[in-house]
Amino acid sequence: MLAASLLLFLLFELMPGDVAVAELGPYSTPEQRDLWMAANGYDQPAMLRYFAWLGHFAIGQWGESRIFLAPVARIVGTRLENTAILGFWFFAVLIPLSLGMGVLAGMREGSWLDRAVSAICILTTSVPPFASTVLVSAVFVFDLHWLPGTSTMLDGFSYRQLVMPVMVLVLYDFGYIARITRATMADVMATPYIRAAILRGLPYRRVILRHALRNALIAPFTLLMLHVNWLIAGVIVVEYFFAFKGFGSLILEASLGKDLYLLEACTMITVAMATLTQTISDLGYLVLNPRMRSV
Amino acid sequence: MTVDHEHPYLSQLRQQLRDNRIDRREFLRTATLLGMAAGAAYAVAGLPAPARAQEEMPKGGKIRIGMHVQEIKDPQTLSWVEPTNVLRGCVQYLTVTDQANITRGQLLEKWDPSEDLKTWTLTIRQEAKWRSGRPFTADDAIWNIKRVLDPKTGSSVLGLMKGYMLEEYDTGAQKDGKPVKSTRLWSDKAIEKIDDKTLRLNCKAPQLAVPEHMFHFPFFMLDPAENGAFKVGMNGTGPYEIVAYNVGQNAIVRASKTYWGKPVNLDEVEFVDLGTDSGATIAALASGQVDGVYDVDFSELDTIKALPDINIHSVTTAQTSVVRGKCDQKPFNDARVRQALKLAIDQQKVIDIVFRGAASVGEHHHVAPVHPEYAKLPMIHQDIPKAKQLLAAAGYPDGLKLEIACKPSPAWELASVTVMTEMWKQAGIDVKINVMPAASFWQVWDKVPFGYTAWTHRPLGVMVLGLAYRSGVPWNESNYSNPEFDRLLVQAEGILDPDKRRVVMAKLEQIMQEDGPVVQPLWRVVQAAYHKKVKGFRMHPTEYIFLDELAVEKA
Repeated sequence: MLAASLLLFLLFELMPGDVAVAELGPYSTPEQRDLWMAANGYDQPAMLRYFAWLGHFAIGQWGESRIFLAPVARIVGTRLENTAILGFWFFAVLIPLSLGMGVLAGMREGSWLDRAVSAICILTTSVPPFASTVLVSAVFVFDLHWLPGTSTMLDGFSYRQLVMPVMVLVLYDFGYIARITRATMADVMATPYIRAAILRGLPYRRVILRHALRNALIAPFTLLMLHVNWLIAGVIVVEYFFAFKGFGSLILEASLGKDLYLLEACTMITVAMATLTQTISDLGYLVLNPRMRSV
Repeated sequence: MTVDHEHPYLSQLRQQLRDNRIDRREFLRTATLLGMAAGAAYAVAGLPAPARAQEEMPKGGKIRIGMHVQEIKDPQTLSWVEPTNVLRGCVQYLTVTDQANITRGQLLEKWDPSEDLKTWTLTIRQEAKWRSGRPFTADDAIWNIKRVLDPKTGSSVLGLMKGYMLEEYDTGAQKDGKPVKSTRLWSDKAIEKIDDKTLRLNCKAPQLAVPEHMFHFPFFMLDPAENGAFKVGMNGTGPYEIVAYNVGQNAIVRASKTYWGKPVNLDEVEFVDLGTDSGATIAALASGQVDGVYDVDFSELDTIKALPDINIHSVTTAQTSVVRGKCDQKPFNDARVRQALKLAIDQQKVIDIVFRGAASVGEHHHVAPVHPEYAKLPMIHQDIPKAKQLLAAAGYPDGLKLEIACKPSPAWELASVTVMTEMWKQAGIDVKINVMPAASFWQVWDKVPFGYTAWTHRPLGVMVLGLAYRSGVPWNESNYSNPEFDRLLVQAEGILDPDKRRVVMAKLEQIMQEDGPVVQPLWRVVQAAYHKKVKGFRMHPTEYIFLDELAVEKA
């Protein structure tokens, strides 16, 4: 995290003057820019400013955002909350859908159901979000007039406005998870202990639910945890297209607006989130796979 | 205004109108510039005043406009138009240049220039008041003028008025071994208070466009009692109060009950930030989440035209981008090379490919057909053989290798450079495109040897030529220096009569075409889109929205 913050700070240092130009416009005179830089503390040495920022960050003072003119912590908080809502519904739809389809397909490898699921998965996953956003809004907004075109949530929270962003994310992602689940499920179904269970005459349902699922879910679970990460930064396209005010679009706005403090905070959160989800997925692994516990 | 104070040129202007030597629009423009009240000018011109009296306009209601809601630190240092569209309802200017390029008073009732255009007496409207109830006075205006001209404020008005209101001086301090220069009012008497409602600008040099400069977009009249700070609920003289301003989300203005002027139609206007993705803009318009959008990119035109109940409003502007080389560097130091670069270009084709026809043809001289002194010259057409011939004569028989600096946004700039490189290739000029991020580009826009630079709309042709091509001025990015051009330009700037000025202008335009540093393929057309129920919207060349003119029909 320290390394990431330092790197970002140095990158900003490589473009001196930029902040003043962004602030006062391209036609400001050099004198006006110098005065602005001095008035806003940009004339101090870079290392001094870095450590001042780091110290403040550590004690929870994340500074003021240059473009939003509000405390960074507050902006990041609301944006994270919005992305969390989006993420919650994304996973709420994604997990049952992709795991269900993957398990169904993997249960009987080579059946018509398996083929159909695979075909759908490959089709939807191969359409990237920037294309499916256009496609989805062409159908539901322009042709059918069913859904609102953007998801600004200005009149308070609206489920209708959440439909399309969630739809696009799920469309892109469920095929991937379903395919992985299908593959591990198929592997598990071919193991001797499952065959033994079936041959012993246990009910098929029981074999699947009690014996196969647990082992088949290890890989998809790790993947899903990684997807929390992906969601935090990877929803930029979707949030941008639907004008959804989440964390992804915040990162984009912060970098386009050269808002150093905001961008640093966003980076810190992304890195922290990555570490956190890795830990959770390692712990979850322990629960799912007893062999790991003794190691 | 009273006859005995009238600028002597006004009577000549009337005569010219009677003799059909100037058209009505030109009369209106110059007459109002010289202080004739807009209503009177319209009457002399025999034109009905534009529908400012809005009898049929529906009252009440609310509309939503899709537009970026950007940060405002200080209304007088803004460098983008979008935030001013919110502010324009809340705080006002001394003057307003309307959609027809006519300047009229807003807080000013009238202005009287001296014959030499060096002394401008400004009279404030008797009835003008802050929403807080206090009258708007000459002191308020002076405080604001001094504030924008203070280099510490950082306002772009400074650059505009520097030539006639300020002087440079040595601060005594040093930076990197060079003395630090700053600017201050050129004289103690530069801004003079006459009485509570009258003030006078005493200029260092003659200036024709003082009223237009007073409408430079950050030149708002702010309340000195609030020290010019921006905040929700800030005081102002305008009809609307800002009740919410959330950067990146929305801004809401509501009609004030204590406005000094004519009551406005709309009760409330909300600006909704839809980000910068054009897909979101169209989708919001299509599903009725907004009633209008601030700006329509040409790439969205076809989709928006297909939407029912949406009107597209468009206007041709003097906004453009020009290709220019440094005239004191090889190979651009040879006029034949500069001309070959122009002759290789088929302007209409650039427009057709990049804008699908939605732009007007440029003539390589940076004077727009909307400028009052514009002179029509024979069109320059693409002539590849002649371009090759000129290159060979200049000593480049095997063609040229160049690198052009340009920025990726707006997308049409890069697109038109790409189209032009294909055309240059035919003439044997091989141009590599160096795409720089906009912020980095603006660091070096006036330093790169060869570049594509955006220039905004300005009301007069002489203003543009004086800013960009006069020898040694700060924005002369091409280092172009031609004594004959400079001489004619000074001459043109001193001619009030647009007819006579046009004669000189024709010579200037010709020098620009034959010798000048720029290749200019096009003039921009700007568009906005509004639902049919929104009334009173007229497109302004600089995309300003005047909230007080809008109304909405009830569903």
